[in-house]
This record gives sequence, C-alpha cells and structure tokens, in this order.
Amino acid sequence: MRLERWLYSVRLRFRALFCRDREEQEFDDELRDHIERQVQAGEARGLTPDQARRAALIAMGGVEQRKEEIRDVRRGRVTEELVQDVRYAIRTLGRSPGFAAVAVLTLALGIGANSAVFTVVNGVLLRPMPFPEPDRLFLVSLAPVDGPFRSGPVLTDRHYLEFRAQDRQFEQIATFSTSEPTLTGAGDPIRISDGTVTPEFFDVLRVQPQIGRGFQAGDGQPGTNPVVLLSDRIWRMRFNADPRALGTLVRLDGVAHEVIGVMPPGMTFPSDAQVWTPVVVRLDPHNSWMRPVVGRLRRGVSRREAQAELDVFARQPGRVSAQDRDVWRPAIVPLKELLIANVRSSLLIFTGAVGFVLLIACTNVAHLLLTRATGRRQEMAVRAALGAGRARLVRQLLTEGLMISLAGGAAGVVLAMAGVPALIALAPLGTFPRLEMIRIDGWVLAFTLVVSVLTGIGAGLVPALRATRQAVSDTLNQGGRSVAGGHERLRNALAVAEVALALILLTGAGLMLKSFLRLRAVDPGFTPDHAITLTVDLPNSAYGSAASMQTFHTALLGRLSVLPDVVAAGAVNWRPLGSALIRGDVVLEGDRKVPDGFLVDKPAVTPGYFRAMGIHLHSGRDFMESDGAAAPGVVIVSQSAGRALWPNEDPIGGRVSLQDDPTPADWLTVVGIVDDVKQQGLAKGADPAIYQPYRQVKGTFFLSHMTFAVRTTADPALLAPAMRAVLHDTDANLPAQSIATMPDLIAATTAEPRFQTRLLTVLAVLALTLAVLGMYGVLAYAVALRRREFGIRMALGAQSADVVDLVLRRTLALAGTGIVIGSGGAIALTRVLDQSGFLFDVRPTDPTTFALVALGVLVMAVVAGLIPARRARRLDPMVAMRAE
Amino acid sequence: MSKPPDLVQGTLDLLILKILALEPLNGWAIGQRLTQVSGDVLQVSDGSLYPALHKLERAGWITAEWRPSENNRRAKFYSLTRPGRRHLEKESANWSRLSAAISSVVRLKEA
Repeated sequence: MRLERWLYSVRLRFRALFCRDREEQEFDDELRDHIERQVQAGEARGLTPDQARRAALIAMGGVEQRKEEIRDVRRGRVTEELVQDVRYAIRTLGRSPGFAAVAVLTLALGIGANSAVFTVVNGVLLRPMPFPEPDRLFLVSLAPVDGPFRSGPVLTDRHYLEFRAQDRQFEQIATFSTSEPTLTGAGDPIRISDGTVTPEFFDVLRVQPQIGRGFQAGDGQPGTNPVVLLSDRIWRMRFNADPRALGTLVRLDGVAHEVIGVMPPGMTFPSDAQVWTPVVVRLDPHNSWMRPVVGRLRRGVSRREAQAELDVFARQPGRVSAQDRDVWRPAIVPLKELLIANVRSSLLIFTGAVGFVLLIACTNVAHLLLTRATGRRQEMAVRAALGAGRARLVRQLLTEGLMISLAGGAAGVVLAMAGVPALIALAPLGTFPRLEMIRIDGWVLAFTLVVSVLTGIGAGLVPALRATRQAVSDTLNQGGRSVAGGHERLRNALAVAEVALALILLTGAGLMLKSFLRLRAVDPGFTPDHAITLTVDLPNSAYGSAASMQTFHTALLGRLSVLPDVVAAGAVNWRPLGSALIRGDVVLEGDRKVPDGFLVDKPAVTPGYFRAMGIHLHSGRDFMESDGAAAPGVVIVSQSAGRALWPNEDPIGGRVSLQDDPTPADWLTVVGIVDDVKQQGLAKGADPAIYQPYRQVKGTFFLSHMTFAVRTTADPALLAPAMRAVLHDTDANLPAQSIATMPDLIAATTAEPRFQTRLLTVLAVLALTLAVLGMYGVLAYAVALRRREFGIRMALGAQSADVVDLVLRRTLALAGTGIVIGSGGAIALTRVLDQSGFLFDVRPTDPTTFALVALGVLVMAVVAGLIPARRARRLDPMVAMRAE
Repeated sequence: MSKPPDLVQGTLDLLILKILALEPLNGWAIGQRLTQVSGDVLQVSDGSLYPALHKLERAGWITAEWRPSENNRRAKFYSLTRPGRRHLEKESANWSRLSAAISSVVRLKEA
C-alpha cells in the first residue's frame, strides 16, 4: 500500500513539473468554482450580488496567495527549486561555453578512462561465470605454493581419488585438463583445444548439450568406444550445424571418436576448449598428473566448511610427505580464479592509475569552479541580500558542478565505447580472459553515473562552500573589487595535489619503461634475427616409434635446408621461450658430486641446430649425423652447466649421465660447450642445459614435439609459405602447430610488459597534461588577481624581471611541494608494481627514475608558470591600476 | 484568514478526512459540511481549506477528480483513498486518546 501511495504522489509531482499550464488552469477553476458557490450562498442569505462576492473574496483572503500556497504544497519546495537550479545552471553554463567545454572535456577524459577500465574489470573480474549458481563452484587444491614445482590450484590424481571417496561437502567433483590434438576427418586438419574431463564434469557445471547426450559413467573406460563432444563453434564451422553430425566419426590425433553431442554456444571451458573427451582417472606407478579439480558445494555449505574439510584431509597421515608440508597448502578457491589469477594485479593497477587521472581532472574542475564562483561573488551577494539562504546558494552552485560532471560522464561513456575496443586491440591476445564478457552494460552505466555524481560533488562542494561563505556579509560593500589572493591557500593546495598525483603516476610509468627497456636489452643467448621456426607434433598413432619419428625429422630437415636463401637448419624438441621443457637430474661419473638441487634442461637437438638458432659454440664440436644410436653417447653442455659440474676444469671430455642409476652404456661424453640460453623467457635466468643429439634419444615422448629452426639471409617471414608447403609434401596429414619468426616470438614474450608500459605511460602523460593545465590555471588566475598589485609595484619602480621572479618563485614553491609529497606517495605505491611482478631488474625506488621524473615535472611546471609570468611582465601599470 | 484559535494544528486534516469518509465532496461542500456538523463551532477559513486539501491529495490520503456538478459546472470532487482510510482510523484513535487524556486533566478538581 505504501507503494500505491508513492506511485500516486510521483504521478502528481510529474504532472506538477511537466503539465504546469493545465495544473494552473485547474487551481484557477477550483477556486473560481468555490467563489461562485459562496456568492450563490450569500445571495440566498439575502445579500446583494456585490456584497456576496466581496464577502466571498474576503473569506478566501486573496486568490493569488492561495494559489501560491497550493503550488508550494503540490510541487514540494525541493523539487521546485531543483528544477530552478537545473534551469539556472544550464543557462549560466550556456553563457560561458568556453568554461563549460573545458570543464566537461576534462571530466570526460577522467570519467571515460575510468569507465573503460571498469568495463574490463566488470567483464573479467565481476561478472559471474556462465554456469548456474556459479558461486557454488570451487576448485579443490592441495599443491605446492612455492619452490620450483609451484603450481596453480590442482590436486594430484591420487589425492583426487582419495578426496572424492571421503568428501561430504561437495555435491560432486570432477577433474579436468586440456590437450591439443589434431582434428581430422572434419575438413582440413586443425589443432584444437580438447578438454579432457571426467564424465561428471558437465554435471558439476550444470551444462547440458544442446543436442545429443553428455558423458555418462563408463565413458572413457578402456575398451569402450572413444566418444567426443563438440563445441557449438566447431559444429557450425565444420558441420554447418547439421544435427546429423551426431554419430559420425572424427579423428583426434588419428584416433576415431564418435560424436555424441554438441555443447551450447558460449561453452568453451576450460581453456577455450573446442571438443571434450572423457577420461577416467586411474592410478599406476607412472601417474604423476596434477590437474585442476572443480566441485559444486552442497546447498548451504560455505567455503569455510569446505576448507575445514580439506584441511583435515591434508593433515591425515600419508597424505603429504613431511618435507613437502611447508609448501603444499590445501585451498578451496573460487572457480573464476583459474581464469583471472594472472590478470587481476594488472587490472587493479590500471584501476588505480585511472583513479589518479580522475582525481586530477576533478581537481582541475574544482579550481575552475572556484575561480568562476569567486568571479560571481557579486551575484551571490545580491541573491543573498534578496533572501536566498546559504544552503540554497550552495545547492545552486553544486547543481552547476553536477551538470558539468553529468555531461562529462555522458561524454565519458562515448569515450569508453571507443576506448574499450582499442584497449582490447592493443592488448596481446590472451591478456584478458572472458573477452566475450567485456562490454558496456547497465553496470558500467550505473558505475559511470555514480562516479559522475561523486565527481560533481567532489569538484563542486568546496568551491560552493567557499564562494558563499562571505557572500551574505560583506561583498556588496566592497563595491565589486575582488580581493587579491581570495582562497589562495585552497588554490595552492589544489595545484600541489595535482602535481603530486601526476608525479606518482609518472614515476610508476617511468619505472615500467625502464624495466621494459632492460628486458628488451637482455641477451637471449641466441640470435633471433633471420631465424624462423616451424613446430610440428607427431601423433603416436601414425608415428609409433622413435625411429619413425627420426626418419620424419631427417626428411623434413633435408627439404627445409635446401629452400632458397637458407643457410642453416636444425631442430630442437623444446624451443627457447616455448611453453614446455624437461628439466631433470644429472649424475657425474666417479665420485664427483652434483651440487644439491641442481637441475638441467635436457633438450634433444639435430646437427646444425646451434647454427640455425644462432647459439654460439664456445669450444669443442657440434653434433654430427654420425652421432647416431650406435655411436658412443655424446652431449654438449651450456656454459653455466659446465661451470657448475666441472668447476675450474675444462668440461670437454667429462662424463655424465642423465639416468638416475646409469648402466655403463648410459655414460655420455661432453664434446662441446655452447652459450646459455634464456629458455623460459627474457625475464628469467638462463637455465643450465645439457643437449643430446636427437638420434641418441630413445623415448617417443622426447621426439614427438619438435621445432624446426631455419636461418635465412632474407626476411624470415617470407619463408613461411615454403615451409608450410615442404611440411605438406612430407606428411599431408600434419598441420603446422605454429610457424613464427624468432623476432616475433621474442616480441610475444615482451608483448604483455609492452602493453602494460604503454597503457600506464598514456595514462601518466594524460595526468601530466591535466596537471600542467591545472597549474597554469592556478598561476594565471593568481597573476590576474594581482594585476593591481603588480601595477603598483611597477609604478613604484619594480623591474618587470622582479614580477617574473615573483611568479616563478611561486611556481617553484608549488611544484617543489608537489614533487616532495608526490615522491613520498610514489615510494609507498611503486612497491605495489614490484610486488605484482611488473618490474624487471629495476628497484621500485630506482633513484634515476625518481630524479628524472621530478626534473621533468619541474620543467613542465616552469613552462606552465612562464606564460602567466610573461603576461605579468608586459603589464602596463596604468592600465592595471585602472582595471576593475 | 486566520484559523479559528481552537482548531488544533493538524486537526483540520483529520476533520477533512472524516467528512470525506462519508461521501466524496467538492471543496466548497467540505467547508459547508464542516461548519454544519460541528454546529457552527468549527469554522474553517476558505483560505486554509484549499492548501490543506492539496496537501492531503499529494500525501495520497485523498484523490481528486473533475466531475460535472449539480448546476452543470465542472467541479473538483475529493474522495478518500484506501491508505487515507487507514490513516484516518489511526488518527481518529490517536485523537480519542489525546482528547480523553486532556479531558481528564482538565476535569481534575483543585485541592
């Protein structure tokens, strides 16, 4: 019933605001009707018509006054005044379009940047996952959080089975991983992401296939027919969305799978999966799988209860060995973490950065409003004298601020609409998970509205309070002469705040820039120029033995090396800067000791690989075709491996084994030494490595994934089509997993820092520009206010240089204070950059960066101060004194 | 123009609501009825009647509609809404309590 009343009163108010004429007419009619009746009644009592009318009017006590009272009652004073304020604000802003444009544009930049970043944050961090009741989905994890084997939230297969057997808090749990098989039998061969999941997986997520059936118990058991679920995208691309796709056979790495269902559009979890195959977790001695495990909590069970259960599980005897207990932690983690863990810290830092930009924009506008309000003290005083209370004046000025910030917000949304696609386009692929969720929606608009209102109040409140403080008392008496230095302290504080905020952002950007330059200058240990790579995966189904793989490699390599302009060709099983590698133990012959915890990379390479990749051979010899399976075992060590294993000795001739318990045949002789390579990325240290010739490697696991490197005298990118053709000639069923030039691969590893650096730099430059404009505004206004004073000084003999001095001294004082405060803030905040892993080889308090940024800000501030200073110098004392 | 001195602040609202609880009336008739039923004790000035009516309308206790009246003119008729009726019941109860309390105080014998 309250609602009913409320709706009714809203309707009345609405009418009061927008149907004024009709309402007025009705007031009039109603009162007129009353008078007429009263007159009739009077006549009935025996009065003359004139007497009756007079009596009626007297009783009413003035029709116009009554109407005014009724208007007050009906419209409510606040609403009425708000409308007045808005109209007045629009009118006065319209009269100074320059001021309005600058203020709106400034806020549009600040608000737009915030809306754009919020759009991304909203899509990536805040929007729920596209599953029913996603807040009940959690990952179960018991894994090392530190040390060399540190991993994301996963369980070992053994823990998964044990936990599943005793767990009471989850409705169901499922484990999943991904692989990248080649899909054939449905158009051209293509490598796709395959979600390898236990049959309960889709029940846990509560996603059902749009056609066909999902997995059921028994799927994936050995001996059953292999089955596969397709994503909506693959179904549309490769089967034209034909329901008859059900029951057909497709091949994954050559193995036939029956299509049993198609998942709904948008379902691509995990890792952009395009197909899903069932897996049954079984333990055998070689099972060292660790995979994510997702579970749906029972209704009413909290995350904490699940965590408590897992804690108990982890403490049970035999679960985690005593030495692992320090770093293996049990954790119940929201499923979304899997997607956003990498991106969260960047997003939070950018949120902070755009927040700073908005603060500066807000400060600028506050100063503009203050200046404007000061200029309007006369008007305020007149209005106050005519009866407007201070609250009323404050409200009117605030309304002006709000009109500006709302207009700025509207323009900001437009900017964000253009900015978000640009932001996504600039970001390296894969930076933002859940791209499809990033869009401007109601939440973004609501966020923008709230930010706009807060900005309007933030920028408008202090000026409004200041401007109306003395309005009532004494401005009228001053005959319109503005007092020099009005609100000077407040203005100074605003300028200092702007400089400080901009300095913090610039320092952050400067550190990132320096870090990025250092990263780019890192010597990767190989020579990327003029090299191009081709990566191929050999499916076990077609290449069952090491020998058949080696035959393929030799054949492909032979064809690659005779392509035009090629000077060297070779292959490696795990290329530098790649995603995977094998590290392991090494044993030395005799009683030599390997340093504790010493692990080496163990790549297998073909002869010619070092030349093709441009890895410098220090001493000894390269591998040769004669280093075959029957020949004595040989290895080439990297410099750091040589130093660690044979300190102060020549490693060549040394004997090592890569097996734990070597037989005499397992001993390998060092024949060469090569440079260290940054195997895992430019920011990582160089791993020590021991290279083996690929013909002496026996396991197919070490040979199936091979990257061919080719060095050319021409532009390496031009070689790509020829390489693809050569691959097709060698085996028509093999897709190239990737073809990429080494410069591109290096660029890809630095793409993310480059993007972060670029974005932060853009924001910092924007902040600096706004701050310099703000500084200029404060100084220019101060000079304008003191024209009379300067005029008198010059008339009394001050040189124009003295006046310039005065202005510049003030500039330096303001900028200096801002720089000191800002540097303090920067020291506190740049630590966050370091902790988030944004900085490479640069300390967060790098003195050079701090000094350069401070100097740069100072120079910009002086530039901002010079213009008003020159204006002051050119003052004609006579004109200045007569002014106002 | 002035209110009768004995019309306690806020009671005008109560009286209007009570009168409208009986039947929908126009503004003039409300004034007449008020004087009539109170035996001329309560006289509401025409000046304060209309602002009071509009205030009640805005509060949602009463609603108004334009209807042709007996002499073929258009007149604004007010009637009680459902929330208004509930409000009236509450206010009447309050009033009874208050007036009873005041009466008993007034009737106290001086010792």
